[in-house]
Parts: sequence; C-alpha cells; structure tokens
Amino acid sequence: MARLIHAIVTGLIGAALLHLVIVFALPQFTGGDAYSRVLALGPAGRFHLLDRQGPAEPLVPDDPFVQASVCAYDLTASPRIVTASGDPAFWSFAVFDKRANEIFSLSDRSIETGRLDAILATPAQAARLRKADPGLMGRVILVETTGSEGYAVLRSLAPHASLEPEALGFLKSARCDPFAQR
Amino acid sequence: MLKTPFMVAITLVIAFAGGIWSVLAALDATTGLAAIRIGPWEAFPLAQTVKADPYARAHRARDGRLLYASAEGLTFTARTDASNAPLDAACTYRLTGLAPAARFWTLYTRPANANPDRPEGLNSRMILREIDGSFAIDVSARARPGNWLALPASERFVLVFTLFDTPVASSTGVSDIPMPELTKLECAHG
Repeated sequence: MARLIHAIVTGLIGAALLHLVIVFALPQFTGGDAYSRVLALGPAGRFHLLDRQGPAEPLVPDDPFVQASVCAYDLTASPRIVTASGDPAFWSFAVFDKRANEIFSLSDRSIETGRLDAILATPAQAARLRKADPGLMGRVILVETTGSEGYAVLRSLAPHASLEPEALGFLKSARCDPFAQR
Repeated sequence: MLKTPFMVAITLVIAFAGGIWSVLAALDATTGLAAIRIGPWEAFPLAQTVKADPYARAHRARDGRLLYASAEGLTFTARTDASNAPLDAACTYRLTGLAPAARFWTLYTRPANANPDRPEGLNSRMILREIDGSFAIDVSARARPGNWLALPASERFVLVFTLFDTPVASSTGVSDIPMPELTKLECAHG
C-alpha cells in the first residue's frame, strides 16, 4: 500500500513537472501558430486578404465588421516597405515577430494623410538607412524589427455594409515590397 | 516480482496523462494569467506582447489567431452574466450602460448566428442611444425592439466586445473603466 501511494505521489510530481515543460515548450512545436498559418497562405512578401469564404481559419477575423490582410516578411535580403492607401472608416497596422510578439502598431489617427508608408528593417539595416538618408524618417515610418522574420497585419473596419468597398479597397491596395536604397 | 514494474508503470501513466491533460485543460479554460476583469468582462492586454505569460504564449501558439496589437484595439469577452451564471442562448440578456473611450466598438457572439438575415453584430455607429450617450442592447434569439443582437442556435456562447483605438489598451489603471452591464432578463426554459 505504501508503495502504491509512493508511486501515485511520484506520478503527480512528474505530471506537474511535465505540465511546466509542455507549457514552456509548446510555442515551438504547435505548427498551428499564427506565423506558420500566415506562411501557409501563400508566398511571403505580399499581402494576402483574409477572405471569409476562404480556408484561412482561424486567421480570418471573426468580427463581422473587420477585414484583415497579412504579409509574411523576411528581411534577410533587404528591408521591405509596406504601403497602402484609401479612406476606410478606420484602419490599423501591426508588425509581429515570428513568435507572434507585437513589435509595432499604429492606427490611422497617427497618420494624417490617409496613406501608410512603413519600412520594416532589422536594427542594422535601419541604422544604414538612417545614415544614407537622414530625411527618411520624416517621410516614412521606420519599424525596427527584432528578428528578420515575422508578419505584418493590416486591418480595416466597415461599420456599415455600404462602407465595405472602402475597407476592402484599402486592403487590396496594400503592398509589402522589397525596399531598394539608392 | 512484477510489483516494481507495475508501480513504475502507474507512476509513468499518471505523470504523462496528468501532465498532458492538465496543459490542455488549462489552455482551453483561459487565454492567460494576466487578465483584467471588469464585472463579467475579461481582457488580456498583454497577450500579444513579449511580456505575455507562458500560458498566454502557449495559448496563442496553439490558437493561431491574429491578435490585436496595443494601438489597434482591445477585446473583452464575457462567458457569464453579471450574476456569474453562464450565458445561455435560450435566455434574453440586456446590456446597458456606457462604453469605454474608443473610436469604435463592436459587439458580436462567438459562435456567430448562422442566419444571414439576422444581425451578425452591432457597432457603435449603428446603435440607438439615450440623450446621455448610454445604450441598451437586447441579446436574444428572438427579435426585440430597439438594439438587438441575434443569438446563435448553440446553447453556450461568448459575447465579444472589442474597442478600437482605445486608451484603455495602454492604460494600467483599469479599475475605473466603465463597461456596460450584462443582466439576464428571462429564459425560454425554466
């Protein structure tokens, strides 16, 4: 009997340890994390509209008023420039690393022109860009990423069905191109 | 002489089954440890950041959703009404009060109702308000006068209230945020 209790207690301690190991290790192994799902949408380096009719669950926003588009970036070869323009009722932009940690975000209130120009660059690339063109920061938003891979999300909101063309038009205008420095 | 292997087997079965089951249960039950709670409403403002706790990281890695960044919005969910009873699609609920400061807010249910003729969600631009800016929204499977959010056919549902471009997402003192109150009016079955 004492041996049985000993076995059960040891088992429970093992379960607690395993619980912690799994919780800490899980993010590396699920394969169902946001970055893997974004990569599965198609080629990196361009925006993919998350269509409600498409198979992109669970990336597709479940908010009926929100549309989203997502671009996986890889800055190994060069920085990338994200551009979009249009006049939806509300839009927002967010950059995440490959572990889905937020790096940068803004809403349309921070920009008066109704046009998004943001350069994604690693800290080394950003330093080079600033040195080569000190006036760059005044014209675009320079986002320093923590790693060279991750994804950028654009969202737009249509409070009424009649405003959906503007919301979709903004997302369809979105590009995520390599940024060539002259 | 089979006693020792048998005890070892018990230990291993308890350790592995218990460890795996407890992780799955924990991740299904909650999105993370660092929730802010206002009445029945629950939000995780740090879930998408580097500061997220290990449970929030494991949850988001398994869930694979695109979370709102801090400048975009903050999502509150409610699984219970003001009296802590789980939300039931057979009941009618009323949401009253004021929304926190935000450019927009939206309200919908998870799962969504499957009927395309019924309102899928409501937002701050489309609802009717009192003169003081407060509102009352009836959440019910049956059509209601005034502001009405249709319920899905499923028994259990979650109410999702999202604030867009809100100072709430970046503020630390969250206790004084006014969130609308969720009260149960009546139920179709006893």
